[in-house]
Amino acid sequence: MERGRQKERTPLYDSDALEKIKAHVEKWMRETVREQDRDEWVKTPRTVLGSDIPREMLYTPLSNPGLDYFEDLGNSGEEPFSRGIHSNMYRGREFTMRQLTGFGSPEDTNSRIKFMIDNGATGLNVLFDIPTIQMYDSDDPFSMGQVGMSGVCVDSVEDMELLFKDIPLDEVTVSIVTHYPSNTAILFPMYLALAEERGIPWDKLRGSVQNDTTLEEIIRSGAEYTPPQDCFRIQCDNIEFIRKNVPGWNYITLNGYNLREFGTSAVTEMAVAIANGIETLDEMISRGFDVDSVADRMAFFWSPASDFFEEVARLRAVRRLWYKIMKYRFHAKSARAMWMRCHAQTSGVSLIQQEPLNNIIRSSFHALAAVLGGVQSLHVDSYDEAYSVPTEEAALVSLRTQQIIQKETGVTDVVDPLGGSFYVEALTNEMEKRILDELDEIETEGGYVACIESGLLHNKISSYFSNQQRDIEKGDIPIVAYNTCKSEIEPPPINVFKYPEGVEQMQKERLQKLRLKRDNEKVGSALEALKDACRTKKNILPFSVDCARARCTEGELFRVFKDSFGLWTPPALWK
Amino acid sequence: MEEKNSLMVKKIKVILSKLGLDVHNRGVITVAKELSNAGMEVVYIGNALPGEIISSAIQEDADVVGVSSLGGAHLTLGKPLIEEAQKKGLREEMVFIIGGVFAPDDGNSLYDMGFDGVFTPGASSEDIVSSIKNLVAEKTG
Repeated sequence: MERGRQKERTPLYDSDALEKIKAHVEKWMRETVREQDRDEWVKTPRTVLGSDIPREMLYTPLSNPGLDYFEDLGNSGEEPFSRGIHSNMYRGREFTMRQLTGFGSPEDTNSRIKFMIDNGATGLNVLFDIPTIQMYDSDDPFSMGQVGMSGVCVDSVEDMELLFKDIPLDEVTVSIVTHYPSNTAILFPMYLALAEERGIPWDKLRGSVQNDTTLEEIIRSGAEYTPPQDCFRIQCDNIEFIRKNVPGWNYITLNGYNLREFGTSAVTEMAVAIANGIETLDEMISRGFDVDSVADRMAFFWSPASDFFEEVARLRAVRRLWYKIMKYRFHAKSARAMWMRCHAQTSGVSLIQQEPLNNIIRSSFHALAAVLGGVQSLHVDSYDEAYSVPTEEAALVSLRTQQIIQKETGVTDVVDPLGGSFYVEALTNEMEKRILDELDEIETEGGYVACIESGLLHNKISSYFSNQQRDIEKGDIPIVAYNTCKSEIEPPPINVFKYPEGVEQMQKERLQKLRLKRDNEKVGSALEALKDACRTKKNILPFSVDCARARCTEGELFRVFKDSFGLWTPPALWK
Repeated sequence: MEEKNSLMVKKIKVILSKLGLDVHNRGVITVAKELSNAGMEVVYIGNALPGEIISSAIQEDADVVGVSSLGGAHLTLGKPLIEEAQKKGLREEMVFIIGGVFAPDDGNSLYDMGFDGVFTPGASSEDIVSSIKNLVAEKTG
């Protein structure tokens, strides 16, 4: 890969100054620094989900002597975008406070959505229950006992209608968390059919879907998997259709977050997401798309965790790296196509059950790192993460965390406040290098999809998380109130969210009624047409939208995918 | 003539499963590895409903049935699991354990329901391994 064009250099540090500083540092090391600090000059922070990157005791210009203002940094809003994608960053547009909502019936989540909006949330972020995510209807035997838990149940366009009742879809930005390409191809068409029924043209819709093969094929447990090649094809069908028909919509949120939470380092998280991004762009180009038009609405999704400066540095690093890939590998022309736009969700795995209020502190640091790193939108995990879906009070604290950062700390008044720090710039370089190394490894081994099929990624990650568990249990990774700073006194219990009752029964009845009142001939022919499209390699989305209009249920479409593509057995994560 | 090693102990056999459709498998995979390292025989069956879990347990002649739930369905699916175990007469001979994300109160309910071991977030592999060994010894001893 090209490493950058030749241009006039603007090194930040004068070579005479560097020499003087070097001589001085050598003296300082001998005379001022304690012997034990000299011996342990480099230390590696051990953190949950950390990358184990060693740090020096003190950073100076010598840590990054070649730092070049225009080559490595630039101003905000200009290449290489290390300092931010916009010149004014949060002065121009605050990060969107996009807290996840989802539990119970569509009506239950509709109320919570309204509560969040009333309290200042600026974007919606809707999470589905596990049967919906896994593409089973609420009355499927496999869904038993799980409907409306940890997310909202949606079986058809009619549930979408209830979910978004009174919400003006042409005025809010909605992140619909359809994790997988397959469920994106089922659920997003329901949203589109809903917009249509409300008379809202698709070009007025703003929001995003996840649509990431990583989520369907690597990090989840499931009973039935679509083969990776077919899953990737659906991912690209989704992108193609949305690019052409819903111009304001972000069609892929490269992951990122869930991969990391599954159990891997900040470096691997970014390498895998980028590998997917690259392979996706290659595919879309082969489908006849212009690279700018595709990259234009690609977004990323990261998990800021506890190693504070690593989190800031890596956001800056990946912004610069993505720019370089877009510019030099893909020859993108528009600035927008070179931007690493991202949503961040603070790390859930870093929050523990013991002394839950401590989690507010943890999440606040995660959130602050994300903001100092320049993310576009943010979800802050709630203190009851290790208990259940957040209570209203816990969700409110998360929202307040964001608001306090925005309104009380002053950090959003200055763009890239840590830019120029000897430490942060050195760490940014190191992160970029490591991400690139892991990306090269994936490419050498055949690319993103091939590394899924071969089990390389599965194995890498399961090794990481087993080792991490051992390190946590040994106490090598300190966690306050868990393996260190433990208290004899039990804190008062917190309120824990209780799922509303009767949701499963209600959904079952709804589905029964739906199946009776809909035109089942239309349903049948819509599903047949979808199956044909799957088999003949047409873009499946228009057919899926027809299915949504006809009131097909999610399970019915998943069955079509299974019949068309067959099932895949993922590599075993252990043994 | 072949000498039988009279000190040879049968490995503890554990069936591990994700309860229902729950997507989160990092925990159960980690536990599978740990139990394996501790000398147990582990059969991981992935996502399954209570009926299938019990059938597998019978088929495999398991000593321990371990289920993992992070999706909220620990009570709604935990109950039918224990009921099915009861129906098949397994409660006396097999150990039933559950782990995952749920509140400590729900942990108590799971014990009341009939689970022999309940592991909430933060349970160490040492806890799990020694609990299993003790519970198996209690049931067979």
